[in-house]
Amino acid sequence: MSPCWFNPSRVGGILDGVNDRDPSPTVVGMVDPAHPPSKRAPLRWAIGGLVPWLVLAAGQAVWIAFDRRLLWLHLVIAVVTVLGAAISLAVVPLWRYRVHRWELGPQAVYTRTGWLVQERRIAPISRVQTVDTYRGPLDRLFGLTNVTVTTASSAGAVHIAALDVAVADHLVAQLTDIAAIGGEDAT
Amino acid sequence: MSAGDDAERSDEEERRQVSAQTGWQRLSPRMLLVHPVHELIRELPLLIGGLVLGQATGNQSWTVAVLALTAVVGVGRWFTTSYRIDADPESGQVQLRAGLLHRKVLSVPRNRIRSVQTDARLLHRLLGLAILRVSTGQEARAEHGFELNAVRVDEVPRLRAILLTESRQPAETTTTETSAPAASSAVLARWQPSWLRYAPLSLSGLLTIAAAAGLIYQTGAVGPLQHSRLAESALQASQRVGIAATVAVIAAVLLVASVLLAVLRSLLTYGNLVLSRQADVLHLRHGTLRLREHTYDMSRLRGGTLRQPLLVRVFGGAGLDAVMTGVHGAGESSVLLPPCPRSTAESVLTGLVGDPKVVSGPLRGHGRRAAARRWTRALGVPLLIGAVLMAFALTSVVPLWLWTAWVAVTAWCALLAADRIGALGHRVDSDWLVMRAGSWERRRDCLATAGIIGWTVRQSPFQRRAGVATLVAATAAGTKRYPLIDVPEDQAWAVAAKASPWVAESIWALR
Repeated sequence: MSPCWFNPSRVGGILDGVNDRDPSPTVVGMVDPAHPPSKRAPLRWAIGGLVPWLVLAAGQAVWIAFDRRLLWLHLVIAVVTVLGAAISLAVVPLWRYRVHRWELGPQAVYTRTGWLVQERRIAPISRVQTVDTYRGPLDRLFGLTNVTVTTASSAGAVHIAALDVAVADHLVAQLTDIAAIGGEDAT
Repeated sequence: MSAGDDAERSDEEERRQVSAQTGWQRLSPRMLLVHPVHELIRELPLLIGGLVLGQATGNQSWTVAVLALTAVVGVGRWFTTSYRIDADPESGQVQLRAGLLHRKVLSVPRNRIRSVQTDARLLHRLLGLAILRVSTGQEARAEHGFELNAVRVDEVPRLRAILLTESRQPAETTTTETSAPAASSAVLARWQPSWLRYAPLSLSGLLTIAAAAGLIYQTGAVGPLQHSRLAESALQASQRVGIAATVAVIAAVLLVASVLLAVLRSLLTYGNLVLSRQADVLHLRHGTLRLREHTYDMSRLRGGTLRQPLLVRVFGGAGLDAVMTGVHGAGESSVLLPPCPRSTAESVLTGLVGDPKVVSGPLRGHGRRAAARRWTRALGVPLLIGAVLMAFALTSVVPLWLWTAWVAVTAWCALLAADRIGALGHRVDSDWLVMRAGSWERRRDCLATAGIIGWTVRQSPFQRRAGVATLVAATAAGTKRYPLIDVPEDQAWAVAAKASPWVAESIWALR
């Protein structure tokens, strides 16, 4: 499938200036990225996941203190709350820890994220626009940092969650070093 | 920046002196006529209030005062608005100062300008004016957008040439494409009255009616109408002819009105459309009463989308959207061609893309497992409803019309699923990624692979079990996110690698 359309006599095509490339050898798949997040990440995710359920439980406690008519409803909600809390405390963080991976290559940054719905995302470093770090209160408690690498596309931002602070700092330094930020960003 | 109204005069003096040095320019003085009229329309409630107050007090000077105030505000807008364009196209800026009480300065770096549009409503056109809008790679909301309201129409080509000079050859900037686009450049498509036949096939007319009904309802006009003689006589008439006939009549009236409205809207918006190309600039103008013009920088074009909604497709039509950076991907701003004969849309896109195989070539389907997922998704709910109906039928009687409706809905869903399976496919080489999907809203996205700056392979638990994945190409252009659903798992990265050498050459690629 060579690009036979390219005809220099034609004025101004979309891809003018882009040279014909060699057809790349067939790629059959991708190896997963190498590095897991911080060892403390599951703990942070567990506590972060537990908070909404605790709020729900507190609301329920208040409700039951004032109104005890619909006992079956209280029971159903309590069971749902306990199940949800247990899943987000024990299952989700470990599952997430098994899935989450990241790696920085010479040309691209590659991540695997999610638990139920899993995503693998790759972005070329030459097109990186910004490298952001974010530390929420819980992240600070556990000494973690989240790194977001954005490109000119809102659908292409790469999120690397729950890294050790030292690892994240090193990664950000490396990224800003390699990436010619401010160069061509494909807009 | 802030300046009170009282200080306006001295401010004015100062500005005149400054303008000699830095090139601040005013908008067309003809806006002194337009602004007060727009201001009057905007302050209509105030004007009505003045009239009522004048009636009540027997002193019409209130009305005069309100009129004078709005006129002064309108005139003041012209005096307080000015713009300048730095001479240096690389690092210079385009700036706009505006605001009567709240002063604001908008600055746009010249090398960030991606497209220039003009818009002339009726009053502007009568006075030979046009609003000029500049858009950049960033998405701007209406109130933050950079717009010059308004400049003279004969100044537009010059301004446009200056603003887009960064991306154009210096030798070409002097031509005046606005006055005669056909003379100096190649016309790609020209509007035909026959295109109107696709207009009734959209829901735009029905939406207009719904919006109007909502507006009337909100103004409270319905309340008094409910007990009026008109409503009562209508009620009596409907009782005479029966419910079925009434519903049929109302439906027919709605249908005719929505068709008429849709055709009218299409005529007003897209009438006189001319799409032309001059070297590396794409030029689109359309509108019968309100004239709009867009100028696109071809080097920002990353492809195009052929859009074929089901009804339009049945009648052999297609619309064309541009996939471009700096232009909103969805909605009117990216439309290159409204629904028109498919051959027209395809030939225009072929001209832009350069490869007929990209536009109309065969696609690679996504196989049996993707098809199975289409069937389960389309027929899951109808089959469930069917089971429930069965269960009811065992204990009591289910009316025949319910069974008929169920059969019709199920058949419709099955047809949609079959159509979606037929549509699903992709085509990839080192320059173009083509993806097609959908039945009700079918689209064929043609993306230049050079513009793809990220890939995502996404799998839900069901997709993992079926061994398929959603491949998402991220670009800075168009809708930013171009998903290709249910690609066989083992092909997803192959497609990405074929399109983007940086994926194929990455350290993770398995060969």
